[in-house]
Amino acid sequence: MGKSWLRAYILKRLLYAVIIAWGILTVTFVLVRVGPSSPADRYLANMTASGQDVSQIVEAIEARYGLDKPMHEQYIEYMGNLFQGKLGWSFSNSMPVIDLIKTHWIYSFQLILLSSIFAALLGVVVGIYSAVKQYTKTDYIATFFSFVGISLPNFWLGVMLILVFSVKLGLFKTYYDTGLPLFSLDNLKALVLPVMTLGTGMLAGYVRYTRSAMLDNLRKGFVTTARAKGLPERTVIGKHVFRNALLPLVTIVMFDLGSIVFGGAYLTEIVFGIPGLGQISFNAIFANDYPVVVAVTLIGTSIVLLVNLVTDVAYTYLDPRIRYD
Amino acid sequence: MMSHELLDVRDLKKYYPVTAGFLSRHIGDIKAVDGVSFHVREHEILGLVGESGCGKSTLGRTILRLEEPTSGEVLHRGTDIAKLGKRELRELRKEMQIILQDPDASLDPRMTVGDSICEPLTIHNIGDEKERTERVAELMEQVGLEAAQATHHPHEFSGGQKQRVGIARALAINPKLIIADEPVSALDVSIQAQILNLMMDIQQEFGLAYLFIAHDLSVIKHMAHRVAVMYLGKIAELASKPELFQNPLHPYTEALLSAVPSVKPKGKERILLHGDVPSPLNPPPGCHFHPRCHRVLPSCSRKEPELAEISQGHFVACHLCDAGDL
Repeated sequence: MGKSWLRAYILKRLLYAVIIAWGILTVTFVLVRVGPSSPADRYLANMTASGQDVSQIVEAIEARYGLDKPMHEQYIEYMGNLFQGKLGWSFSNSMPVIDLIKTHWIYSFQLILLSSIFAALLGVVVGIYSAVKQYTKTDYIATFFSFVGISLPNFWLGVMLILVFSVKLGLFKTYYDTGLPLFSLDNLKALVLPVMTLGTGMLAGYVRYTRSAMLDNLRKGFVTTARAKGLPERTVIGKHVFRNALLPLVTIVMFDLGSIVFGGAYLTEIVFGIPGLGQISFNAIFANDYPVVVAVTLIGTSIVLLVNLVTDVAYTYLDPRIRYD
Repeated sequence: MMSHELLDVRDLKKYYPVTAGFLSRHIGDIKAVDGVSFHVREHEILGLVGESGCGKSTLGRTILRLEEPTSGEVLHRGTDIAKLGKRELRELRKEMQIILQDPDASLDPRMTVGDSICEPLTIHNIGDEKERTERVAELMEQVGLEAAQATHHPHEFSGGQKQRVGIARALAINPKLIIADEPVSALDVSIQAQILNLMMDIQQEFGLAYLFIAHDLSVIKHMAHRVAVMYLGKIAELASKPELFQNPLHPYTEALLSAVPSVKPKGKERILLHGDVPSPLNPPPGCHFHPRCHRVLPSCSRKEPELAEISQGHFVACHLCDAGDL
């Protein structure tokens, strides 16, 4: 089947994505900038302590960074720079935002990637098993724990894991050690608790979604006929049931990714002191360092929009019935 | 005598345990199929009728061992299907196929219909790639579809066409017996006739036997050579079609027949059945039908009637017939 329409569809979606990202950035920019304090405030405490005139300092700093101009001019200037690929200057870190992101993105990326893999693989396996063994003890146990897992807020879970595994049992450090080489066992070990913190909620969700999607399809007539044809049970489950259950699962996994990027990963980074994008964005909010806040929002937004597009394109391959016009 | 019996079902039972409470205490059984015996001859269409929930679908599925029987025997040309190992069972699946009620659900939406029809051939390693493609084309034409449609997906077909695909898939490995579980009840009446006629043509052409499950007596009248009437997991009456329709002996059969709409009503009195089919978890004592029966006797609630041969090939389970009092 030719998919010539797919190209036009992707182009159209990319155009929408740019418009949406622009809208979100505008809102973020305005929200950060309407606050009563200025990025210049952070310099004040030191400088007033050394006897300088407060208002002069503020004016000097604001003039230097263009903060004295009316907001709409600042907005146009910021967007113009962004359009040229310039993310601006971080006041609180005294370095270009792009360099800040370059040093910190990897910490968020490894956390989100490992948590997603952990949750998706284990969740799908347990979910399939639970569905095939519906109403057995194993199924009840899996269902019970997935219910508990969904209900736990992950910042609380993180603190509890630290309390039990680090403080009481001494198996792990209480914080994430940034000095470790990325591709080392020690780094992997340091990520065990953060991944469990971020991954448990996802895992529990995937178990439940996989189970119910599998059960939906297990009841279908084509499963009965497949068995009647003499297809081995393993193939019936893999080929006819799981593949049909995959579509709703992909939706959930991809949808989750958005909420993880913006929610769970931030909190997990803060609980474990992981210096990822969530952490720097969190600090930047308190420091009124708006270029960092807007830049991190831009990254998150782009990821979510791209993932949604990839999901919609993936559907057309997973289900031959789907086409977009 | 045994030789022309393709399928011989003896005292087949399928119970589903019912549990309750935290410790899954066993509190009883749903007796979906409760001691059913009958046979299907070669080239024969045996109709099986009954209300929803009487266990007719479970019976069909248990015969194919899609459900494990609780007890009893299912003899296919003398071999007991219920006792076969995995590999022998898979071999035997070539002999028996099933057609289901819902044509929408019985095809995998992600596979082309050609692949669906071809799958049984692949499973049983029949022919090479090219032969299979030819076979699929041949089958599709036999069921009144175009061979070129093999590359289409199920959603591109109408309900009747999907059922034709289902029939083609069942025919692919040349079975001798097809269990058709309400194959037309999900279709429009005009399409029903087409599919029924197709099934009859195919039955004649390939010398098939059908166990034809339906709740619609007019469909059964059109198709079957012999008819079994099922009520709450048991066979109430079994006879040749002309015999059953002209001389129904069981009051339940009478009631069912009186409900069949007819073009020329001859002032026949309609027998109205009151209430629903009782729960198979807790069936009434004695004859399961007695609370709804219009000719109930005092003994009916005490003793369960046995299925007995009243005249040549006419079996009835009713106390009215025991007494010879009709």
